[in-house]
Order: sequence, then C-alpha cells, then structure tokens
Amino acid sequence: MAMEVTQILLNAQSVDGSVRKHAEESLKRFQEENLAGFLLSLSGELSSEEKPVDSRKLAGLVLKNALDAKEQHRKFELVQRWLSLDVGAKTQIKTCLLQTLSSPVHEARSTASQVIAKVAGIELPHKQWPELIGSLLSNIHQVPVHVKQATLETLGYMCEEVSPDVVEQEHVNKILTAVVQGMNPSESSNDVRLAATHALYNALSFAQANFSNDMERDYIMKVVCEATLSPELKIRQAAFECLVSISSSYYEKIAPYMQDIFNITAKAVKEDAEPVALQAIEFWSSICDEEIDILEDYGGDFSGDSDVPCFYFIKQALPALVPMLLETLLKQEEDQDQDEGVWNLAMAGGTCLGLVARTVGDEIVPLVMPFIEENITKPDWRQREGATYAFGSILEGPSPDKLTSLVNVALNFMLTALTNDPNNHVKDTTAWTLGRIFEFLHGSTMETPIITQANCPQIITVLLQSMKDAPNVAEKACVALYFLAQGFDDIGQTSPMTPYFQETVQSLLSVTHREDAGESRLRTAAYETLNEVVRCSTDETAAMVLQLVPVIMMELHKTLEEHNLSSDERQKQNELQGLLCGCLQVIIQKLGSSEQTKYGFMQYADQIMNLFLRVFAFRSATVHEEAMLAIGALAYSTGPDFAKYMPEFYKYLEMGLQNFEEYQVCAVTVGVVGDICRALDEKVLPWCDGIMTQLLKDLSSNQLHRSVKPPIFSCFGDIALAIGDNFEKYLMYAMPMLQSAAELSAHTSSADDEMLEYTNLLRNGILEAYSGIFQGFKNSPKTQLLIPYAPHIVQFLDMIYMEKDMDDVVMKTAIGVLGDLADTLGNNAGPLIQQSLSSKDFLNECLSSDDHLIKESAEWAKLAISRAIST
Amino acid sequence: MADESTATPRRDPIKNPVGITAAQRRRQNAVSVGKERREALFRTKRLCRVGVSSDMDAPVDSDMMIEEEQSILEAQTSSAVEELKIAIAFQGKGAVQKKVNALRDLRRLLSRSEFPPIETAITCGAIPLLAQCLSFGSQDEQLLEAAWCLTNIAAGRPEETRALLPALPLLIAHIGEKSSMLVAEQCAWALGNVAGEGEDLRHILLSQGALLPLAKMMFPNKGSTVRTAGWALSNLIKGPDPKAATELIKIDGVVEAILRHLRKSDEELVTEIAWVVVYLSALSPVATSVLVKTDLLQLLVERLATSNSLQLLIPVLRSLGNLIAGDTYTTNAVLVPGHELTDNIILALVKCLKSEHRVLKKETAWVLSNIAAGSVGHKHLIYKSEAMPLLIQLLKTAPFDIKKEVAYVVGNLCVAPAEGSGRPILIFDHLVSFVRNGCLRGFIDLVRSADIEAARLGLQFMELDGIDAMERFQFHENEDLRNMANQLVDKYFGEDYGLDS
Repeated sequence: MAMEVTQILLNAQSVDGSVRKHAEESLKRFQEENLAGFLLSLSGELSSEEKPVDSRKLAGLVLKNALDAKEQHRKFELVQRWLSLDVGAKTQIKTCLLQTLSSPVHEARSTASQVIAKVAGIELPHKQWPELIGSLLSNIHQVPVHVKQATLETLGYMCEEVSPDVVEQEHVNKILTAVVQGMNPSESSNDVRLAATHALYNALSFAQANFSNDMERDYIMKVVCEATLSPELKIRQAAFECLVSISSSYYEKIAPYMQDIFNITAKAVKEDAEPVALQAIEFWSSICDEEIDILEDYGGDFSGDSDVPCFYFIKQALPALVPMLLETLLKQEEDQDQDEGVWNLAMAGGTCLGLVARTVGDEIVPLVMPFIEENITKPDWRQREGATYAFGSILEGPSPDKLTSLVNVALNFMLTALTNDPNNHVKDTTAWTLGRIFEFLHGSTMETPIITQANCPQIITVLLQSMKDAPNVAEKACVALYFLAQGFDDIGQTSPMTPYFQETVQSLLSVTHREDAGESRLRTAAYETLNEVVRCSTDETAAMVLQLVPVIMMELHKTLEEHNLSSDERQKQNELQGLLCGCLQVIIQKLGSSEQTKYGFMQYADQIMNLFLRVFAFRSATVHEEAMLAIGALAYSTGPDFAKYMPEFYKYLEMGLQNFEEYQVCAVTVGVVGDICRALDEKVLPWCDGIMTQLLKDLSSNQLHRSVKPPIFSCFGDIALAIGDNFEKYLMYAMPMLQSAAELSAHTSSADDEMLEYTNLLRNGILEAYSGIFQGFKNSPKTQLLIPYAPHIVQFLDMIYMEKDMDDVVMKTAIGVLGDLADTLGNNAGPLIQQSLSSKDFLNECLSSDDHLIKESAEWAKLAISRAIST
Repeated sequence: MADESTATPRRDPIKNPVGITAAQRRRQNAVSVGKERREALFRTKRLCRVGVSSDMDAPVDSDMMIEEEQSILEAQTSSAVEELKIAIAFQGKGAVQKKVNALRDLRRLLSRSEFPPIETAITCGAIPLLAQCLSFGSQDEQLLEAAWCLTNIAAGRPEETRALLPALPLLIAHIGEKSSMLVAEQCAWALGNVAGEGEDLRHILLSQGALLPLAKMMFPNKGSTVRTAGWALSNLIKGPDPKAATELIKIDGVVEAILRHLRKSDEELVTEIAWVVVYLSALSPVATSVLVKTDLLQLLVERLATSNSLQLLIPVLRSLGNLIAGDTYTTNAVLVPGHELTDNIILALVKCLKSEHRVLKKETAWVLSNIAAGSVGHKHLIYKSEAMPLLIQLLKTAPFDIKKEVAYVVGNLCVAPAEGSGRPILIFDHLVSFVRNGCLRGFIDLVRSADIEAARLGLQFMELDGIDAMERFQFHENEDLRNMANQLVDKYFGEDYGLDS
C-alpha cells in the first residue's frame, strides 16, 4: 500500500517553482486517490532513519495537515476521514509515530510529537487509542534524555489538543507526575526541564483536581517557583508563563503563595532579561484581569453573585507593586512610538499600571502623584515621558472626584508640553494622555465639567496645531479630538465646538492629504475623527456637514479615476475608498436623522448612489463592506424612493450575500437587506425571490462563518414584515430551516461560554424571524397558513425557558414571539398556549423582570394571550 | 516550530492606536442602528395594535391592572406630567429617549385602571405638552406614545374629549401620507374617539380637513391601518348632517377601496368598512344611489352568507337594509325575483334568522320587512321561502323587539301595494296561513306591550285581518282575544283610535 514518497517530498521543497508545483500536485492526487496509503507512506517516511531530514520533516507536516485545518468545515471533514480509515492502517501509522519519538533526529521527533497530538485530539474523544498515555509514560525513567524530552513535548502538545474531560484522572495524575519530575532541579538536562515546563503550561487545565489537593498543589507551585530561578533564561520565562496561567485558572487557590510570588516577580522585573521581566509583569496584569472581572460581577452591591471571592491581592500588594511598575516606565526604548509592533518593559509596565488603577480605583492616585510631580519637569525626556505616561495610565478607574482637580491643573501643563516639548516621545504621550482625559473625564455625565467655554478654544487650537506634528504625534492629537467631540455627543442645541467646526474639518481633511498620512495609521485616525466630529455635531453646523458631502464625494470620485496601479497602491486605494465610504455613511446617517437636513441632502442621493455603484464595479470580486454600510444608511434616508436604485444595485447585493470568504461583508449585506426592507416596505417584493434564494443557500452552506447565520434568520423577519402575507411562498422553505436551527440550538447546553453566547444569538435570530413572520401575517386572511407551525414554536419557547440559559435579549424576543403568536393566530393559539408546559411561568417571570423592555413585551404578550384565550 | 518556545499571546498595550478600534466601533454602530430599527418596528407595531384593539374589543384583562387607590394614581399622574415637562425642556444626552420614557410612563398610567386619571392629566397641563410632542420631525416612537396618551384621554368623559381641541390639527397632520403607517394609525384612533363624541366635534374635525386623509388611509392594504381608519371615518360621518357622508363618497378612490376591502379582506377589517357603508347609506341618498349601482350588494350578500361573526353581520345587514329601503332602484332593479342574487339574499337572511343572536334576528327581520314591502313577487318569494316557518316561530316565541320587526314582515307580506289611490289589497292566502299557524298570539303580545307603535301594528293586523279570520275559523281563544282586544283598544288607543280611522 505504501509508496516511495521521498523524492516527491524533496521536490515539494525545491527552489524551482514548476518542480515544486508538480510535486505538490502529485501529493494532492495521491492523498485523494488513496488516503490510507498516502498517510502510511508519510508515516513511514517520517519514522525512517535512512531518509533525509527535510523529507521526514515535510512528511510529518503533510501528515499533520491531513488531520487538521483552520476552517471548521474542512477540519470536520478531515476528522471524519481519519475516523473512517482502516483500523490496521491507523495502528501502523500510530506505531510509526511513536517510534519516531526515539529518533536521534530532533526535527523528526518534534514533528512526530505534534502529529501524535493531532491524532490524540481526534481519537481520545471517541475513546480510541486508550493505550497512548500509558505507552508514552511506561518507561519514561529509563529512556535516553532526547526521548524523554520528546515524550514530554508530546504530552504538552496533547494537553493543548484535547479537552480535559476526555482524559481520565488516573492518566492526568501520571502526566502531571512525569511533567513535574521533569521540571525538578534534580533533572540534569535543560532540554528536558524546558520541555517539561512547556508541557506543564498546557497540562495546567487538566490539573483541577490536583490544585484542589493541598499537598499536590503545594508541590506543583514549589516546582514552578523553583523553575523561575533556573539559570536557563528560557526555563525561567516558561516558568513565569506557567505562573501567569495559574493566576487566571486557579486565582482562588494562590493566596498562600502570593508573598513568594511577589518577591520572585519583583526581582525578575528589576533584574532579569526582558522576556522574563515581561512575563513577571504579565502575572500582575493577569491578577488585575481576574479581580476586575470579579468586582464587576459583584456589581457594586456586594451580594456575592460571583462564584469566586475577591482576595484583593492587588490592593494588598499596592504599596510595593506601584513603585515596581513606575520604575519600568523609565525603561523606554528610543523610537518605540514609531514602531507599532513593539512591546517592551515600559509599555508592559504602563499597561499593568492602568489595570491596577482600574482594579483599586482612588487608592492608586496618591501612590503615583509623587512620581509624576518629581519627574514631569526633568530635563531627561525619559523622566518627563514616564511621568506623563503614568498620569495617562491611571485616568480610568479612580473616581472623577479624585481626578478632576488634578486634571484641571494638568490640562494646561499638557497643552503647553504638546506645543513646546522638544521631544517626540513626550509629545506623543502627552497627546495620548489628553485623549484619555477626554475619554474618561469629559462628557454630559460629569458633575464638574473639565472642558469649559473658557478652555475649549485653546484645547482645540493646540490639537489642530499638533496635527501638523510628526505622524505619531498627529495621530494621537486626532484621537484626543475624537474623544473631545465624543464628549459633546447629545449636548443639545449648542456645542462649544461649533465655532471651530469649519476649521476642525479643514484641518482633518488636510491631515488626510499629508504625504506621510500612511504612517502611524494617521489617515485612518483623521477620517475616524472627522466622522466622530460630524456624528456629534449639532444642528448649528448642519449646513457645513451638508457642504462636506460634495467634498467627500469628490475624494471618492478621484480614487475611482486612478487606474493601472501596483498591487500595493491598489490596496491603499481600497483602504482609502473604505475610509471615504465610511465617512459618507456617517454623514448620511447624520443628515438623514432629521427632516430638515434630510431634505437638503437628498439632492445628492442619486450622485452618491452612483459613486457607490462605481466602487462596487471597481472591485470586481468582492463587495466593499463600508460601501454596503453606507448604502444601508442611504436606504434608510431615502425610504421608498430607494426602489429606483434597486435594478442596478441588486447584483452587488447578491454578490455580497454570496461572499463566503469575507464573511463580514456577507453579514453586513444581510443587515443592508434589512435596511432595504424597512425602506421599501412592500416595494421590496420584486427582489425577494432572489434575496430569499441566496439567504437560504447561505444557511445551507457549511462554508459560511456561523456568525452570519443568526442575522440571516433575523433578516427573514425583516422581509416578512415588509412583504406581509406575500411571504407565504417562502414559508415552506424558511420554516423548516428555522425549525431545524431551533432544534440545533436546543442541544447545546453544558457548552462553554462562547458556545452559549452563540446559541443565544442564534435563538434571538430565529425568534426575530418568527416575530417578523407573525407580524407580517397579522390581519391577513392567510394567517391560518401559520397554524401548522405554531406547536413547534410553542415547544421551542418552552425549551428555551426550561434550559434556563437565555440572556435578556433572548428573553425579550421570546416573550414577544409568544405575544405575536397569540396576537396573529388569535383563538387558534389559545389552546396551544394554555397547554404549553411553561408559557405561564415564562410570562410571569418576564412580568416581574427588572428590565423594562422585557416587562413591556410581557405586558403586551399577556394582553394578546388573554384575548386569544377569551375569544 | 516545535523548538520555538510557545509564544504567549501578547496583551494589547494601553497606549494603542485608536483609529482601527474607532472604525470598528463605527461599523458596529451602523449595524446596531439597523437592529434598533427592527426592534423599534416590532415594538411600535405591537404597541399600536394593542392600542387599536383594546378599545374596540374591550376585553381589558382585569387582573393585569393593579387596582390602586385613585389618589395614588392621581399623584403618579401629576408627577408623570411633571416628568414629561422636564423631559421636553431637557436638551442633553438622550433627550429623545427621555421624552419617550416620560410619555410611556404617562401612557401606562392613562391605560391603567378602569377609571384612568384623565382629569388629573388634563388639569396638570398634559394636553399642550402632548401636542408639543407631536411636533413635526419627531421620532415615530415619540409620536406614537403621545398619540396614544391623547387617544386614552379622548376616550374619557365628553368634556375631557373636548380638551383635545388644541391637539387636533397636529393629530390630523400626522395621518397624512408622509407619516409612518403606525403613527397615522394611532392618530386616526385618537381622532376617531373625538369624532365619536358629538356632532360639534365632528364638525370641527371636518372643517380642519380630517376627512380626506382619513379616507386615503383606507386605500392601502395594511389591515390594521384600514381598520382604524374605517372605524374613525364611520364616527366622523355619523351625522346627523349628511354632508360628510356625501363628501366622502365623492372622494376619488373611496368607492373602489370599499369594494376592494369588502371583496378581499379579513372579517375584522370588513366589519369596520361595513360600518362606513352603514352611515353612507343611512345618511346620504347620493351615496346610496352610487353604491347600489356597484356590486356592493353582491359583496354584502356573500359576506352575509359566509361569515359567522356577529360583529360583521350586524353592519352588513344594516347596510343591506339601508340600501334596500333607501333607493327603490335596489328592489326594483337589483333584487328582482328570479334573479340569483335575490335568491341568495333570502338564503343568507334565512341563515341569520336561524342564528342564536337576538340582535341578528331582529336586524334580519328588518331587512326582510324592507324586501317584503316590495312587489307581490317579492312577497311570494319570501312567503315560499324557508324564512316563513322561522318568522312564524319568532312571532310566537321571540322577545318583544324581534317580534315587532317580524310583525312588520308578516304585515307587509299580507298587504299588496295599492293600485292607484285605493286601499292596499289583502293577500288572502298569506293571511289565512299566518293565522292558521298561530300568528295571532304574537300579535296579541304586541298589543299587550307598552310600545305604542308595536301595539298599533298588532291591532292593525287584528283589525284588518285577524278578526275576519277568527270569525271564519272559530278559534278557541276567540273570547280571550276579543276581551283582550277590547281592553287594549280602551287602554292604549281610546279616543285616538277613533280619530285615526
């Protein structure tokens, strides 16, 4: 069955493109024609000591890729194929893999460990390969060092691959024992210790039981702490990574070790190499994450809803922790602000300081202020920057009461520094800090406003001036302006920004035209700031917003005139078109929101739509997400008149709905279908056959990202609401889809949080579809067509009520559906509802809900039901 | 790969470029705007429907209302109006939502008990505030809530309804074509309440131009909107001045809309449309003459034959009766004996006579009496139909008011139209058979009643025909009847009787 693959594998790594391509095709064909033979050949190649390293390594990789893929549907397919392979072949392959772990060639061993983990990931949940862990661990003490290292590595990968509930506790104990022994200082090989430490990192999620046992936990913690002191940097780093993981997985168990851990991390932050010090800081950031979550769950009323109590580790460590973090702020790198990907001690320290501020609130302020006061005027830029950074970091968390007076003093200083400081870093951080001040301490909810009629002009002047500074500083100035504008959202009829509106818009537009606007994401920031300034503007400046329309249209028009671009230029052009469409979307939404401004805007509607259509035509294959969103806004503003654009727009709508790869585009398009339904109402009918066909195809596809499916169901509701009982002809397709999705969403209990969240989204989509359909058919002579579906819908509602895992959104939609059903079906629904298992309890629960939206829906549903029952 | 240390995912730095997240936020916002609109649409549709139906069907679920001391309710109302005042003055963040919330609270109070605190609301100055909330360019949800509050206030006592006067122009403005259906519907309902209150208010509404937009609301096919518009229109044209009814029938498209809805729509909607037809045909000869020339009768008869809804059958029957009584063209040209439609109408009426509902029987008898007043052919037709035994049964056993209508039918069946100037001619066959079947007892009951008109009817029958019949057939109750008749003549007619004849 097996065949000689060495040469093909070597050719597949050839520098000669055609040779490579040919080899890849041969591999593919072989895989398709005879999967078992193919995999056997690969495992044979991997295990054979006579073969070249390169072909062995690639054999392992190809083997791995035959077992796993990123895309969910492809992965599922591969798993099914492996499971259906001949048992003999599989046994042979697995034997080869295990055998390779003893190979003297490091690459072969390492590749084999990963493949073994993949196979385990498939087989262990099916209770296959039960002997794997036993055979890996059987003689771990007698094997040579390199085999031991490979075995530990395999265990680590395996723990990453399989979920803890498919491994028996007995095996978990064996794995942990082997791993912890491998980490022990008595282990002479650093390779083994490092592999063991990495393995522990992955095995921690299996150690629930062991962490509940004081002795075992003490032992694991001791070994991990000792490993942080290893002479080997990589081992120290890996050990700290374990500590970080423990801090989030076993927060409630680590109190006894916190004093030691503080000492260890403080020493590492102070003295150790950067990769280790960064992990030591990360430990504290991770503790902050935990405590912020817990305190949020407490929700201020300290009723102790959370399962885990807060141990206030940060609060206790505060006096020592804050100085340790402040010290890191002075360890900046030159040019760190220009380099987006950089992550260093100062950045990690500031980030952690920000988290500490959010965790403890007011208490941090007196600990940080002396540092700021001491350093902010020093001649060394590092001290000024560090002081400013410290101030910016603690603006979220402490109460406005605590901060307002400080900020009032600081504001002037910052504005001066932003104008006059000679150092780029200092100006960058200063502008960022101003942005944070406006983000957290400015807005209509503030008791004492920071921004007044008096200081607003100066602030705007300085920010507009800074937009001419270096790109990184200009970007931060834009962001500061963004939050300044945001704080005036809903201010009413007059905004202090009004007198500067024109100048602000002009400055932002000139930023977008800067030669270097591509650096530091400056252009994006400028456009997004422009959008926010427009969004938060008042009626006073509506005329100027209207004047902006032809300006942005011209910009968009210009991008459509550029042809024959390099792929790099083309990508930039696409980005720019996205920004401009986004800007138009905000303007349309703004002007369309009131009758007066809408009227003026409508003169441009035809031209704008024409531009959007050209943007679509320009990008042949994919539809522009931003243009779609803008069209949704346009449809809402134009209302039924949008019908005239449909003949031309429809094909792009369809393309958007077919865009499986860029699923966000698909999702946005689905949303736009909803906007169009609401705009056109019954006039959407001629397009519905096409749209429904595409939506139904989308739902049946296993390629489409699952996140798009709930909005598609909601979209059914939008369509039904618009076309009323004309939805009749789609019932026979839509209802079974809804029904099977409803059943699917019934069997997901005991899933993880992410799955639960998705389930709720899915249920909400299904329920919105039902609501739309019922409301659409209400008062129609065809309501009886819905009667056959009613029992299932009532059962579905019973089911989600009894699962007890719905969120508030689902609850509100669900009780609404019950009401719609009663309202539309009238006395046909009465007996069904009366006989249902839980309608009454569900209704009562909703009636006593604290959420006024749920309550209102429920009150309405009660009325509808009482009518259905009484008639 | 394997020998690389597993890179732990790096945390996002606190100092991060904002542009990207801002764009994400903006996109999410754009998407969530759509969701909010769907949500608002669901909510307003429900809101509106409850509004529209709760007054007409009036099954207010009593245990939903928390019975509260009236004084508490009044205090709450006064503070709700105060809140609304503050919300209207407020300009900051969430101003619109604030207004909507305040309106919703007030609306809930006004829908709360069987005795809503309408007076308090008016005294506290709610009307001008609500009118202000109806200003142009306001959000639909706000318009809806404000209109709903006004609807509930308009449902109050006459002087409370009258308090709506300042808000009427805006309510009328919002039933125009520019408004969303839901807003228009709620406003139409408020106007319908006002129109129902009295002739002077109808007159004001008509002079402010409510008729045309309400009529146009009947044109689309949206069920609940048309239903509300139909109901409001029927209140508006109630008269007694027939001018509005005549104007309505002259508006382009109205006749078509009426016919279309009667042809296609569900029963609830047809009910309201039929009420419009009732008033058109009762008040305006112009309208009647227009309507009888369409296939309206056909449609009414079909509805009569197929529906079992009392609410629907009553206005349909009444419309039929009006059309038959109001224009001789109907009986002479449309309901010709031998014509299929004529047979159908008799069949449908028979069905109604069999119904359990007394009102239905009574109205049916009234329609039959109008047909029976037609030609001898009509009389024969009814006489031979299945209606006859039912009528006789009713005359014997039915309550008084039904008996009275049946008596008219029987009376009409026995008398042929006068030829020339002579006295009406008796149709002897009919008379004899009625008496033989024991109709006399029914007439005697009528004579006994306190209803002068009915008594006269009974006596007429007896005088003209009954005594004659009795002499011929020697009824065993002869003496009883004679005594009775004498008594009654003395009691009710006395001198009048002699004067009349």
